[in-house]
Amino acid sequence: MDLITFRNKLFAEGEKIGLSDIELYYEKQSGFGCQVSQGEIDDYRSSTVSAVSVRGLYQGKMGYAYTEKLDEDSVSFLLSNLKENSVLIEGDPEKLFTGDTTYEKLDFYSPALLETTIEEKINFLKEVTNKIYEYDKRVVQTSYASIQDQLVEKAIFNNNGLSLQDRNNFLFVMFLVVVKEDEEIKSDYYFKLTKDLGAMDADEIAKEAVEKSLRHLGGKPYPNKTYPIILNNSASAGLLAVFSPTFSAKSVQDNQSRLKGKLDTMIASKAITLIDNPHLPDGIKSGTFDSEGVPTRKLTVVENGILKSYFHNLKTAEKDGVKSTGHGNKSSYKDSIGVSPSNFYVLPGDTSYEDLYKDFEEGIMITRLSGLHSGADHVSGDFSLAAEGFYIKDGKILSPTNQMTIAGNFFELLHNVESVGTDLEFTPADFYGYIGSPSLKIKGLAVTID
Amino acid sequence: MLNKSLIEDVLSAALITGGDFSEVFVEDRFTNRMTLQSSKLEKSLSGRDFGVGIRVFKGLNSIYAYTNNFSKEGLLQAANACAQAIQNSEEKTIVVPLVKQTNESIHPFQIMPNSVEKGRKLQVLRKADQIARSYHSSISQAIIGLVEEEQHVLIANSEGTYIEDTRVWSRLAINAIASNEHDMQTGFYGPGRMQGFEFIQNLNLKHYAREAARIAVTMLNAEHAPSGKFPVIIDNEFGGVIFHEACGHGLEATSVAKNNSVFANKVGKKVASDLVTYIDDGTITNEWGSINIDDEGEKARKNVLIENGILKGYMIDKFNARRMNAESTGSGRRESYKYAPTSRMTNTYIAPGSSTPDEIIANTEHGIYAKYLGGGQVNPATGDYNFAVNEAYLVKNGKIDKPLRGATLIGNGAKTIQKVDMVGNNLGHGAGMCGASSGSIPVNVGQPMLRVSEITVGGREAN
Repeated sequence: MDLITFRNKLFAEGEKIGLSDIELYYEKQSGFGCQVSQGEIDDYRSSTVSAVSVRGLYQGKMGYAYTEKLDEDSVSFLLSNLKENSVLIEGDPEKLFTGDTTYEKLDFYSPALLETTIEEKINFLKEVTNKIYEYDKRVVQTSYASIQDQLVEKAIFNNNGLSLQDRNNFLFVMFLVVVKEDEEIKSDYYFKLTKDLGAMDADEIAKEAVEKSLRHLGGKPYPNKTYPIILNNSASAGLLAVFSPTFSAKSVQDNQSRLKGKLDTMIASKAITLIDNPHLPDGIKSGTFDSEGVPTRKLTVVENGILKSYFHNLKTAEKDGVKSTGHGNKSSYKDSIGVSPSNFYVLPGDTSYEDLYKDFEEGIMITRLSGLHSGADHVSGDFSLAAEGFYIKDGKILSPTNQMTIAGNFFELLHNVESVGTDLEFTPADFYGYIGSPSLKIKGLAVTID
Repeated sequence: MLNKSLIEDVLSAALITGGDFSEVFVEDRFTNRMTLQSSKLEKSLSGRDFGVGIRVFKGLNSIYAYTNNFSKEGLLQAANACAQAIQNSEEKTIVVPLVKQTNESIHPFQIMPNSVEKGRKLQVLRKADQIARSYHSSISQAIIGLVEEEQHVLIANSEGTYIEDTRVWSRLAINAIASNEHDMQTGFYGPGRMQGFEFIQNLNLKHYAREAARIAVTMLNAEHAPSGKFPVIIDNEFGGVIFHEACGHGLEATSVAKNNSVFANKVGKKVASDLVTYIDDGTITNEWGSINIDDEGEKARKNVLIENGILKGYMIDKFNARRMNAESTGSGRRESYKYAPTSRMTNTYIAPGSSTPDEIIANTEHGIYAKYLGGGQVNPATGDYNFAVNEAYLVKNGKIDKPLRGATLIGNGAKTIQKVDMVGNNLGHGAGMCGASSGSIPVNVGQPMLRVSEITVGGREAN
């Protein structure tokens, strides 16, 4: 059944069973992904999945249901589940958005990507992989070498006349290069996103991917103590990602954020400005409306250390007596409306990378954090994370370190940022949004070295 | 789910360019999720996942396509997309006649989740909420979640496999938050089983909800963990996550087949302390990580991975079996039709030893007792792992001393299993979700209480 026929049938049947407001949310994802191993394609996948989810007000309460099976029976499946879910729901009422006449006219769809053939993508991946092996004889293998693209199309309709459509596509490559010298094995991830494969440089990617792993060879132990820290861009972005829920008005209202009651106060050092920009041309989370249909706009969350705004959806905004900031997002069509950032990042400063640590007598540079899903508690702000990086002596990188942990508290760390680099980089999109940061110079963190 | 002749056509169409194996995986899944927060039912979501995954092998090439366009044209188009990805091959027609196999469930269900009114489920959530909140005045928030999944699958392949299976999972997730003027700490307990509503209905809520609340309150009053190398006592049940990360992932064919594991080419060799026997067993009745058949249609089995320190075998799926010139061990699993299967764990545990928990603690002069572990991560290529301790204590002169927060354990899996120097007699299992290349799947981790002679603890206080 086509979407419009389905919508019309759903709205008619929904009104019949007593729904006052009904919304249909449609999402279609199509993609291609491929991995190569030792010159051979060993993983190749293509996909098309479309799904709908329905929200509706039954006796003043919002019910939800979704399905990936779009056939004649789905309408009654959706409506009966929606009704059963709605009657039990408690708490502040949720409403449907009636629409806004001012949506930005932006398209995040790249025709160049659609025209790129599967063969071109595979050849590019093979080319980069070959160059990775040629670049340095210490390269043992690429334990992960992948190219993936995705096209996401969304539409929202409701029975108040709202009708919106958006689309976004992107392509990325990801490598995990394993290098070995004597008995020491090291590896690191490399990620790069584009809207135009033609703009990717195979030599440059191979070089960067290999160098990222090679630099970790020769790890040494150093004493456990509190060191001044350089948190490299991707490590810093990873940390901001896991703590991003703390900026949501939902977390604040649920007593799960230590930023409660902190609007218009200093929550970070003056060096920190946090921006959410849903209109970034290359943003994975770019779009002109959120999952409630509210127009998106650029938002300054923290300005020179002062907390200016939380992220809001319609429900949290009403509770706080403000306007939605356009962050009413669903993690997928299976979820209900929550609050989350779009493309959220630390505004770059003006200190060059080398200048960040040139005055260190002694310090640690963190290039990679792991265990973010388990070692960081976004409620308390406490984190204790596995890390990789370098020991710095007299303003120069002396050697890589053995595996480390760094421990601290995110809210304290925000105050301890002394300067911000120019090298803004985003982490691969995930559950939290598309999150970016430049490298940060931090006063001190407790470091344990294995 | 799909009729037999259509499946046969799809399997044949996928082989037309010379593939030597084709497979169809059909999934129809119903999910309920309920979340109680601030003592109010904030979320009640339900829905249906439905789709088909088609896979073709040609030698060591693997092609996967998935779609939820389940019309004949849609499926043949996806099969064709797979076939066209195999290049430089001769055209050929292969007929795949299927005969349905019976699948005897070894994990019986009594009450299907969808047969129970949601109002009854809400009562369970409310009771857990009330128990957690009444534990202590510093409990400021409780979030109680219920997840129920009912998955029907049909798996057919060109070797003649044609089998259906039904899996039902139920899990309660209890999060408690304790706070004072300066601080907030969380406690979590998430019991789950491959069972219907009978599991939720009979759950000892008092125990689980109080434990979650107790962890949060204890951590609110805990000091920062020290940094340095210590003997570490890891408690039973979810404590087993350390070996899930430290060795389990390294024993999956996904990394072994590409020599991307420290355990590759080591069968018959001593890789662990004599005290370590490590087993993956999908047949344990109704456990969270259990299966009747894996997602490639192979029967569940008990695989001994390490026996008294000697490496016995790996967990192997069909595709990696080709690379390794071995047989599948019934370990091919995937989150859904959106993922090609690969080798994964089911219920993985360290077999019990002979020490009592009291003996282990009494024999430790100065160390860390990790009572509840959080999640962790491993780099299979290097074996370096890390994981978080949700509830930890200092052990002093053979006695449990003050609670510690913010401890992370880091180390190398291959080295850590050689340093296991005491193994308890109290085997227990804990439920978790494991994320890897074939998605997020339910697995159990398990072990008795045990001690590792030395692990690096990353904390905030210099030792």
